[in-house]
Amino acid sequence: MITFDQVSKTYDNGVVALKDVNLHIEQGEFLFIVGASGAGKSTFLKLIMHEEVPTSGHIYVGDFSLSDMQPKEVPYLRRTMGVVFQDFRLIRNMNVFDNVAFAMRVIGASQREVRKRVPYILGLVGLQSKARCYPDELSGGEQQRVSLARALVNNPELIIADEPTGNIDPELSKDIVQLLSDINQLGTTVLMVTHERDLVKEFPHRVVEIQDGRVISDGLWEGGKHREHKQYTLSDT
Amino acid sequence: MNISSIRYLIREGFRSIWQNALMAAASIGVLMSCLFVTGGAYLIGANISQAFDWVYEQNVMAVYAEDCRTNELLDLQLELEALENVKDVELVTKEEMLEQHAGDLPPELYESYKGENNPMPDTFLVTFSDLTDYDRSAAHILTLKHVEDVDYNGDLANTLTELRSTLLSVGGWVIVLLLLVALFIITNTIKLTVYNRRLEVRIMKSVGATNAFIRIPFVVEGMVLGLLSGALAFGILYYVYGRLADMFTFGMMGEPVTFGDHAVVLIIGFAVIGVLVGALGSAISVSRYLKEEVVHNE
Repeated sequence: MITFDQVSKTYDNGVVALKDVNLHIEQGEFLFIVGASGAGKSTFLKLIMHEEVPTSGHIYVGDFSLSDMQPKEVPYLRRTMGVVFQDFRLIRNMNVFDNVAFAMRVIGASQREVRKRVPYILGLVGLQSKARCYPDELSGGEQQRVSLARALVNNPELIIADEPTGNIDPELSKDIVQLLSDINQLGTTVLMVTHERDLVKEFPHRVVEIQDGRVISDGLWEGGKHREHKQYTLSDT
Repeated sequence: MNISSIRYLIREGFRSIWQNALMAAASIGVLMSCLFVTGGAYLIGANISQAFDWVYEQNVMAVYAEDCRTNELLDLQLELEALENVKDVELVTKEEMLEQHAGDLPPELYESYKGENNPMPDTFLVTFSDLTDYDRSAAHILTLKHVEDVDYNGDLANTLTELRSTLLSVGGWVIVLLLLVALFIITNTIKLTVYNRRLEVRIMKSVGATNAFIRIPFVVEGMVLGLLSGALAFGILYYVYGRLADMFTFGMMGEPVTFGDHAVVLIIGFAVIGVLVGALGSAISVSRYLKEEVVHNE
């Protein structure tokens, strides 16, 4: 699904965000990416979304090779993924229904498809009764569910969640991760960036830790213990 | 792109105007002012043109015919009337000419000139529709059969032609400059609108909307703003010009041109220019914004 092959990223100001990262993520996996602020987690996600380009190395997402990608292909890459942001990024003057429908409309979905799909997705995230509410009328957890619904509505193969629990209460955070786990059970690959280690330990998923731009550990949390995951190398492909 | 998408994009264009009413008002104000001044310049140009037409009509060329038969004179008149640049030909016979000069001549001499001794030539007074080729027209007329000589004020014609051409050229450049200023201001005003809606643009990009799809609602918005600006500029110009035209008269040259005679040109011109400037301004500002985003990201 996603492959990082010797990927490095250095910004124009000289900051080295990622260095020689090798990683392979299978279709249908749930992956936590953890690390302190400035470790390189967000750059990792931006590279996958092609919001940034690597300084060296190659990235493959599904059928797309991001290193030699044409600008006109970028929208089609992004249609294979849904993104959940820490700050929700909901449009204030649109109600819940329209915020979710917006993601469908801007890629040319018909009104019929929108009317059929949006209520289904709102039901999936438990917000069917809030369809006519505006973002400011919702709690942080509910707003994040709307953001998740918007990420899911185009039926992506991959969900990218950038600190989705960063702005909500700890209790509600678990609900959000549980929801992402449920979605993962349906076959969608989930990539979640977080710095909340306690939250990570409660879910038995693969965890990749980034520190100073390098992957320093890759393993699974199972039964409260961390078990090493086989590190991806180029010879494995 | 399906019908739903087209309907959605158009609706979004109108929604954006409503939600960014202040920016929309600023854009309309700027474009309307430019269109108003452009329309004003056009009407001033039309009045100058009318004044020149009057002056041209006063600049008549006298074409003196040789002593010839009546049918030959009529043939010459037909030839003169057939010339491309000729607006009007009036024949003044030698008898009429003598009559006109009766007061200038001693009575005995005047009496002796009557009949076959009349020294006056049959004369055609030729008015031209355009004085640009006045000298060439005169040279051509001199080559016609039975033409003896021509008399005209070539210097005045040339001066008037140059003046008219300079005024129209300066007016044209002023209009082009005004439209460029309008385009620049509209581009920057709509850029602010795009900036205000950057969250929507970012979400659109993150879910895979193409740049063309992102651009269309802004272009629709620009076109609607352009059309509204054109309509308002037309209304204000109609009122202001009507009031000013009532106050002025150009003496012998007649009244100022009526607004109604130019209304169709103005309304079509305002609509086309408004829509084009609005659409182009929006397209440029969104493209710049999207390009800046890419550069920023890379």
